Amino acid sequence: MDTLNLGRFSDPPILILASLAGSPKHGYAIMEDIEAFAGVHLGPGTLYGAIARLETQGLIESLPTEERRRPYRLTATGIAFLQEQLTGLETFASMALQRLARI
Amino acid sequence: MKTKQYLVRLYPHTWRERYEEELLAMLEQHPISFLDGLDLFFGALDAHLHPELGTTGMSLYERMMRMISTLRHSPLTIFCAYAGFILVGLAFQKMTEYDDFVEAARTHNIVGLSFNLVVIGSVAALLAILAGGLPIAIAVIRSALAQKRRGPLLLLTVPILAFAVFLGTTFLLEALQHPGNHFSPAWQVFLSRGVFFGTLIIAAIASAGALCFAVARSEISERLLRFALLPSILATISMALMLAATIIWGLGLRDGAPQLFAGNDGIVGSSTTGTWLGIVITMAIATALAAVSLMRGFSARSALRNAAA
Repeated sequence: MDTLNLGRFSDPPILILASLAGSPKHGYAIMEDIEAFAGVHLGPGTLYGAIARLETQGLIESLPTEERRRPYRLTATGIAFLQEQLTGLETFASMALQRLARI
Repeated sequence: MKTKQYLVRLYPHTWRERYEEELLAMLEQHPISFLDGLDLFFGALDAHLHPELGTTGMSLYERMMRMISTLRHSPLTIFCAYAGFILVGLAFQKMTEYDDFVEAARTHNIVGLSFNLVVIGSVAALLAILAGGLPIAIAVIRSALAQKRRGPLLLLTVPILAFAVFLGTTFLLEALQHPGNHFSPAWQVFLSRGVFFGTLIIAAIASAGALCFAVARSEISERLLRFALLPSILATISMALMLAATIIWGLGLRDGAPQLFAGNDGIVGSSTTGTWLGIVITMAIATALAAVSLMRGFSARSALRNAAA
């Protein structure tokens, strides 16, 4: 799979939020999902550093532990935050595409 | 698996209570590369710098208490790091007061300039420690008087007593040396120097420990602790400046006066290079400790502000 250059959207927190937008996932599933859809490998330290931050900021929340693994899901604040970020990306992309069309 | 467990143990206790099991479960499913190991190491460092991470499972009260405790420990750790720094700074000052070093500072600009920077840094650091420490010391006294507790007041007298013991030991050692007798047996010289340095180190540890214990056992307002972070920035920057200046001093001396640098003009006639290296390493450890504590303090302060909002 080709690696996408996602710029500032390749920040681990955004990638995790995008991954959780699909469904609740535990750490390993998030890591695999991000590798599949963005071609970005998040190291375990980076992944859990970002998970801890997102949880502290109230953007994600944990679900009951299943066999030592704790799944996470987006909170309402997390959904709103991701929506805002992606809308920003959409606006930026459409503006850049319009400019490209004029060339 | 053991390596993974050791790496996870590098994380702070609070963080591990929250994430250790699931992180280990994930690592069991996934073989880790050298880069992943490095990533875990930096992740642990990041978790130490941000003590609010991993506190999600706690109640708001518990979280705030944890952050206030971090805020209280931050200036205390910086003070202890400063004490260690000053101890080796005294060794540096003692070493450089010999004529040869004074001459080198006069004839080689880089040596003289870097030495002056160490002096400027030490004054700035002392002022910063006093600016942050005096209000806390006054708060300790007020808290002890209000609660009618003698313990913290007695602890505040320890540095004065320790200094008196150190001075007494120094005078005693001088008195025991016969005037004009420069050829004491080697064991006597060794014993006398051992007692001198031992007393100095014990006095410094007892003083710093007693002050920290007094602060830890007293009621200090959160506002005062938050204020103490500001002079702590200056103290940490001054320590970094002195460290850089000491490194430049040594390198300048090696280039300008190589025979002096390679000689045995260090502390108690030891190698100059060895003494300089020892001083630089200790200063670097103390500065790193102060920088980490400062960042932890600011993280705690920001977490408290967010919790209060």
